[in-house]
Amino acid sequence: MITVLKNARVIDPAHGVNGEVRTLYIRDGRLVNAPADSEKIDHIFDLQGKIVMAGAIDMHSHIGGGKVNLARMLLPEYQEMRRLQEPEAHICGPNCSHPATPSTTDTGMRYIEMGYTAAFEPAILAVNARQAHLEMGDTPMIDKGGYAMLGNDDYFLRLLSQQADQKTINDYVAWVLHATQTIGIKVVNPGGISAFKFNQRRQDLDQMHSFYQVTPRRILQALSRAVHDLGIAKPLHVHCNNLGVAGNFQTTLDTMGASDGIPMHLTHIQFHSYGTEGDKKFSSAAAQIAEAINRQAHITADVGQILFGQTVTASGDNMMQHLNAKVANPKKSVIMDIECDAGCGVVPFKYRDQNYVNALQWAIGLEVFLSVEDPWRVFLTTDHPNGAPFTSYPHLIRLLMDRTFRNEMFDKLNLDAQAMSNLKSLTREYSLYEIAIMTRAAPAKLIGLRDRGHLGIGAAADITVYTEQDDKEAMFAKPDLVFKDGQLVVRDGEVIKVVWGATHTVKPAFDWGIERDLKQYFDRFHTLQMANFKIANDQIAEDGRNHVINHTQG
Amino acid sequence: MTTPSSTLHTCPACGLLCDDIAASAITSQTLSCERAARFYARPVPATPPQVCGQAVSLTAAIDAAARLLQQAHAPLIAGCSTDVHGARALVSLARHTHATVTHLNAASTLRNMQVLQHRGWQTTTLTEVRNRCDVLLLVGTDVVSHNPRFFERVIWVDEAMFTAPQVRQIIYIGPQHLNTQPGTAPDGRAPHHVVCEASAIPAVVSALRAFILERPVTQPEVAGVPLETLQALAQTLKAAHYATLAWVAKDLHDVHADLTIETLCETVAALNQQSRAMGLPLGGSDGDTSVNYAHTWLQGVIPQAPELANHDALVWVNSFSPQQSPPLFDGPTLVLGPADAVLSSPPAVFIPIATPGLDSAGQQFRVDGSVTLPLSAVTATAQPTLSEIVARLVSALEGVRA
Repeated sequence: MITVLKNARVIDPAHGVNGEVRTLYIRDGRLVNAPADSEKIDHIFDLQGKIVMAGAIDMHSHIGGGKVNLARMLLPEYQEMRRLQEPEAHICGPNCSHPATPSTTDTGMRYIEMGYTAAFEPAILAVNARQAHLEMGDTPMIDKGGYAMLGNDDYFLRLLSQQADQKTINDYVAWVLHATQTIGIKVVNPGGISAFKFNQRRQDLDQMHSFYQVTPRRILQALSRAVHDLGIAKPLHVHCNNLGVAGNFQTTLDTMGASDGIPMHLTHIQFHSYGTEGDKKFSSAAAQIAEAINRQAHITADVGQILFGQTVTASGDNMMQHLNAKVANPKKSVIMDIECDAGCGVVPFKYRDQNYVNALQWAIGLEVFLSVEDPWRVFLTTDHPNGAPFTSYPHLIRLLMDRTFRNEMFDKLNLDAQAMSNLKSLTREYSLYEIAIMTRAAPAKLIGLRDRGHLGIGAAADITVYTEQDDKEAMFAKPDLVFKDGQLVVRDGEVIKVVWGATHTVKPAFDWGIERDLKQYFDRFHTLQMANFKIANDQIAEDGRNHVINHTQG
Repeated sequence: MTTPSSTLHTCPACGLLCDDIAASAITSQTLSCERAARFYARPVPATPPQVCGQAVSLTAAIDAAARLLQQAHAPLIAGCSTDVHGARALVSLARHTHATVTHLNAASTLRNMQVLQHRGWQTTTLTEVRNRCDVLLLVGTDVVSHNPRFFERVIWVDEAMFTAPQVRQIIYIGPQHLNTQPGTAPDGRAPHHVVCEASAIPAVVSALRAFILERPVTQPEVAGVPLETLQALAQTLKAAHYATLAWVAKDLHDVHADLTIETLCETVAALNQQSRAMGLPLGGSDGDTSVNYAHTWLQGVIPQAPELANHDALVWVNSFSPQQSPPLFDGPTLVLGPADAVLSSPPAVFIPIATPGLDSAGQQFRVDGSVTLPLSAVTATAQPTLSEIVARLVSALEGVRA
């Protein structure tokens, strides 16, 4: 079966291709060289004038697992009835939900309609991984994967406090990747989630954890080193200490230096770029943060842009979410301590453009986007749903590409916030090529998906076709065509065929001898068997909707 | 990584999901837990499907069931005693038949959900409790009536990482008849029992919360409980390193039981301003957490418990409670149940299915919600799973429509 896309204006930054007109050939779900004349061509699409990119990849989006489902449960008022069209109606009931709390079906459908073909859940509690995979397995259309949270689990903190050697830590990290079927490691408020269980209310980078007597800096060193030593592509995913606190930019700057030059990815950095200047003691430190990123090649970041409207924040950082619960809107929240493994906090938020802090948060995110020079090192996210639902990406892309539009939006903000932002002096407009980098080529490279995010020979045929328009929001909201693994699944922004995607993992080699000590730990302190902590491939594939693609390296 | 061939099974007989059940103990019938013993003693006879009480082929039963559902305008899928895979299948069946879904435990689940959706809550999980809890308050429940091994597996353990389990303080609030014996420490130290009628629990819990918030309480006693008792209890909770306030929604029966749970949750929130405390909802059975969770991610939250009278066909699923026969109902009933299902009268269609954790594999949510455990078959069976039957039913329904 061969499909031909001819006269495509290809934007493929992984290969330095910027708008060259080409013909693409798809066979068995992959891009291939031109077939022999004798071979039968099944479908030809003439894409005269259309822009063609690889399918987009969201490298940080809370799409499944305990806190995401709690958010759905917490907010029944967001639930609404909808009349769906086939084929979506075939797999989804009429009870669909607010974009901040989409059902699993809604998640997959809304992503693919925008030309996204993969999304990565960035905060899988190791003990909750089975639930995350159940939900991701029920998410159609796109590929999935996740980052396992470490750094607040008691097993790891015991290792650190007992001065365990780096090899032991590496073995444990690798064991967790295997057990949880994930593709990266994340640390959330290093040490802080654990410290909150001991009644600590803040955890600074160089402050000792009151029980374990280790610092977040040491946690970051050990985990970034482990990820590096194991040869995992995805750098340690870091949610810094002091989320959302005025003045936290210094923690963020210091965190960049904590790994001794080993690559780290700082996530939703907008929430960690706050100063204390001005009458309200809350200011933008985007310039300092962007300057530090520009200077330090080992650092990448995604923004976690906020956009105005109702959403819900779902985080593993229960220490900081417990504080944020005071400003919940609507006024309710869920805070959990979980299994000597981690925790979570779910707090609904309504970001308002007339609120000083919210307006400045909006500006800070955009300032970071526009001030980080290298689009390969800054990623387009809203930390769905924490800053805004992922369905607002087309709007965000327009803000980045269209300075006039951006400035019009800025003029509507709270006036005090306007006075505290230099956004209007930033004249940069992102190009289509740069958008393709930050939404395709760079996330694939960062996560280690060698056959995604580009349109080279051998790549998976995850392809999005757009009509170029002046209104970039309209352009990116509704692609003409989307192919998933070579199958045409979206036409004119509507799903025409349901597919289920796969789950991407890494399983580096390690010394299984670590299980002797782990088994003892589980038997002494846990309420489940070590064997049940581990998820098998066939359990992910159960009910026939999912399968595992392993990217073992090294 | 493949799951090692383990000789330990996970017991789905209650929400605790003990995963230390030795195959040898099942064989020798030496299980310490009565609920588990009853579950594993269930027979799995080879039973044929039935239509109107007559044995038929599976194909004939599927056809009859599809016709039954095709003719209904508003079926109710009830019981829903199953695992995550069964829940996924039933949500799919509901979509194809425009059915409403409800669970055996809908009333008690709803009590908790109302609190979550009104104010939210701050809760913890079993391993945290096992390693941290120094003061355990059980409100209106002995827990063991629902989760028989709770004290054995979570409280009176040999060691814990952050507390000395032997000296934990156990406090009950509730009627005299609560079985407080399991709250006795290994050294014989008795638990503290604040005795009050079940109907007085809301008042007692409210007064306790007032003391924790340091609000004035003027009457000399609350439902027979002296104020000094509650004042002392408030101090104990405030002084705790990790106070744990447990309840079982099924054991709080008042019309406004959700408000009692909410008061408890607000008490936890108040404690967390200065010290550490967490709520712990316990109980659970029949895969209620799994059905609630899976329905939520697939289809949104389950609406309030529906009235059977508003429906014109009933689908009854009772995998973990074979003794629960379908409710009295005038319309046609399709039972998807285990071979040992007790049926007071033959339903229109009965299709036997395997029970997850007994004669089929599966996955189940534990009552604390964060842990999902694999279930394994302890005995071989010829019965199909609920998922397989629903898949065939859906194909048949599509065939009927085509």
